[in-house]
Amino acid sequence: MSFLAPAAFAFAAAIPVVIVFYLLKRKRVVKLVSSTLLWQKFLAETQASAPFQRLRHNWLLLLQLLLLALVVFALARPYWAGDSQSSKLRVLILDASASMRATDVPPSRFEKARAEALKWVNGLGDYDQMVILQAAANTEVKQSATSDRSALRRALQACAATDSPTRLAEAFKLAETLIKNRTDAEIHLFSDGAVSNLGEFENKNLPLVYHRIGERGENLGIVSLDARANPENPAQRAIFASIGNFSTNAQSTDVELLFDNQLLETRPLDLAPTNTQPLVFIAPQTKDGVFTVRLSAKDDLAADNQASIVSLMPQPVKVLLVTRGNRFLEKALKGPAQVQLSVASGLTDSADAFDLVVLDDLAPAVWPAVNVLAIHTANTNWFSGWETAKTPAIVDWRNTHPLLRFVNFDNVQISETLAVKAPAWGVSLVDSPRTPLVIAGERDRQRIVWIGFDTLQSTWPLRVSFPMFIANAVEWLNPASENASHLLVRAGDPFRLGLAPAVTTAQVTKPDGSKQPITLEPGALEIVFGDTFRQGIYRLKAGTNEVTFCVNLMDAAESNIMPRDDLPLGKYGKVAASTLRRANQEYWRWLACAGLAVLLFEWWYYHKRTA
Amino acid sequence: MSSSLLTPELLRRLEQFQLLAARRAKSSARGERRSRARGQSVEFADYRNYSHGDDFRYLDWNLYGRLERLFLKLYEEERELPVRIFLDASESMSFGEPRKFDFARQVAAAIGYVALCGFDRVSVVPFPNAERGAPSAATHGAAPDVAMPPAESAARGALRSVRGRKSAMQFFQNLGQLTARGPANLNQALRRGALEARQAGLAVVLSDFLDPAGYEPGLSALVGRGFQVDAVQILAPDELNPTTCGDLRLVDAETGAVQEVTFGRYRLKAYQQTVRNYCQRLREFCTGRGINFFTASSDTPLEQLLLKQLREAEVWG
Repeated sequence: MSFLAPAAFAFAAAIPVVIVFYLLKRKRVVKLVSSTLLWQKFLAETQASAPFQRLRHNWLLLLQLLLLALVVFALARPYWAGDSQSSKLRVLILDASASMRATDVPPSRFEKARAEALKWVNGLGDYDQMVILQAAANTEVKQSATSDRSALRRALQACAATDSPTRLAEAFKLAETLIKNRTDAEIHLFSDGAVSNLGEFENKNLPLVYHRIGERGENLGIVSLDARANPENPAQRAIFASIGNFSTNAQSTDVELLFDNQLLETRPLDLAPTNTQPLVFIAPQTKDGVFTVRLSAKDDLAADNQASIVSLMPQPVKVLLVTRGNRFLEKALKGPAQVQLSVASGLTDSADAFDLVVLDDLAPAVWPAVNVLAIHTANTNWFSGWETAKTPAIVDWRNTHPLLRFVNFDNVQISETLAVKAPAWGVSLVDSPRTPLVIAGERDRQRIVWIGFDTLQSTWPLRVSFPMFIANAVEWLNPASENASHLLVRAGDPFRLGLAPAVTTAQVTKPDGSKQPITLEPGALEIVFGDTFRQGIYRLKAGTNEVTFCVNLMDAAESNIMPRDDLPLGKYGKVAASTLRRANQEYWRWLACAGLAVLLFEWWYYHKRTA
Repeated sequence: MSSSLLTPELLRRLEQFQLLAARRAKSSARGERRSRARGQSVEFADYRNYSHGDDFRYLDWNLYGRLERLFLKLYEEERELPVRIFLDASESMSFGEPRKFDFARQVAAAIGYVALCGFDRVSVVPFPNAERGAPSAATHGAAPDVAMPPAESAARGALRSVRGRKSAMQFFQNLGQLTARGPANLNQALRRGALEARQAGLAVVLSDFLDPAGYEPGLSALVGRGFQVDAVQILAPDELNPTTCGDLRLVDAETGAVQEVTFGRYRLKAYQQTVRNYCQRLREFCTGRGINFFTASSDTPLEQLLLKQLREAEVWG
């Protein structure tokens, strides 16, 4: 047998007090009466029978000591380690996303959620078990199944809110695994309901109890940020920012633009309720640096009031076009600014001097090591095999991908294409019924855009979407912009950086100024830094290389902090916020303490009265 | 002295009463009560045949004229009713406010006065008899009991037999001389009284009946001797509703016995129930033996007991 609260044995100090009370001599008032006969009869009628009369006080003492010992023993919470037979399992999921840092319920939604969860921990039955999960960008098991309330409390205290978006699906999957084959399990979600789609759980019939935290949704937030070269003046930068008003009232704020912490511009902004407004700042840039957009308005959520982006000076893009002759392609490649185009009819080396290689209907002798735009040619490493398909019809394209920005495939006909199966390393951007036509992906840190058909065997070069696609491809395949996109990290996502082989140590300076060393394994080619839960500017120093990257929330779903009454599960399913389910608050400890106090008080009062 | 016991007004009202005896008087002395004995009175009782030597004055000559046989007319003999008042004069009777003993003396005086007015013989038996009694708790362990004052001894002697209304004042004076002292032995006193009485009559027991030895043998002895018994239990107000609370060491005034008690207002009802139970047992015992039983607190108005309770119980009428 063990004790959960051995400190309660300190109450045993009350035992000598009771004994001392018994040692006290009673003072009695002597009174002469006519006869003690009636009194004897009175005592005989009201007290225990004669054989126990002499022992009565001793029994009382023993009983009181026994009672006291039991109370103290109970306070020490003894338990037997062992498997409980009929125990309930409760999985507590604590939403630790950015929206939970909102301060509409003081001190914050997360603290409120923690307090609510703590009530459930306190109300946990002796044989019940509980698991604590913290769900943010990724799900963390803070405490595996246990009945130990102090361990659960410690786990809750160890939880902390982040600036990352919520991904509850992971947490639900984990919880679902935990409660598998448990009939009496419950999942308790403490959240404001600002979650993305949970459609996959629509028909899972999860025993989910949703505890809604939060009261209102007064929030302004930066939902997107980008920095590009100003098309009209390449020496300038255009910073695009979208500011969303997620409250039901009109809001006004000042939007500040800073470059390396120096204020460049302040612009007042009035936002209608639930509206999002884009802003474009034009700013000169003479060196690499960080643009920061800041909102001055005070609202319930501070995490999305500031966003930063690393802006590097534009570098020329060296493009090698390997072709038998394709004027459309050549012309399109010359379109984007900064492109230095070289044309060759064959490739005999890995083309390391170039930023990207375009292979047009031609298999090179040596496949390039840099990023590749491959047209109507295929590497055996990329696909397991291919066939030829005649006149494929374009049925769908993924216009959310950066490669297909402003691109559409209406009126594009294709004569013939290579038919492949979609590989694991890439995603299909343009689909025909039989085969993907355009695939983009990354394979061994090499970005590849593959077009399955010969552009000259199609009407595509005659459409305006073709030069746009090529411009997007150059942008996407340019290692510099690729690196720049790596420098903008969403909170909770890992930051990755390729490394020179000799580097063995690295250090990250976080937004709050603290430094975190990173130990690298010998020969590591990539650094992965996962502790990006706080919004702000991070600086990574790896050997002599110093990289700045920015972590931003930039999630409209997360910035919309209006607490939801229902948690949508797919199109038709939903879980209503629970108002009736309350944690069972245990109060036996208070009763036990009160019992102890009453016992001592009763004895003290009795002696005070008779003394 | 009479004024200290009974008021003239009360005396005047008591004169109208006469003790009612369910049984015929058995006394040998002549009085004013009907008896089974035949003798001289105006109440015709029976006839009997003349026998030699009978007084001619009682022959029924009219009957002789009709029947030519001699019959003697018999008349009821009127005799006195001996009234014995057993008065508890133990130490315990000296408690209470007003004192139980004073109340008991008043009741004794009233009963005695009614009896004297009815030409009955009254004898008051105070007990304990101090000459034979043990030392009381009040003087327990101290000097031996002081001898009874001669005046009280004389009064006790004079109270053994009183008759006639003219003796009433002396009777009251002698009652006033009595004091309460010493431990009571109710049973012994009643048994002795039953044995000593030459004729059974009316016995009135005035006591608190708080004798540790009980009361049953004494009352049974009186009933067995043929007495018509009236028992009046007199309790002090403080015995019915104790006012002293806390941890108490109670000392019995008569026996010196010590009883430790923790008492408070919260136990008052239980105590009162105990008293009620005790009195109820006593009442049941008395009722079962044809004894008239009364309970009175010593602060009860005397008229309430004498003119109402005793009258309703047909102790007198």
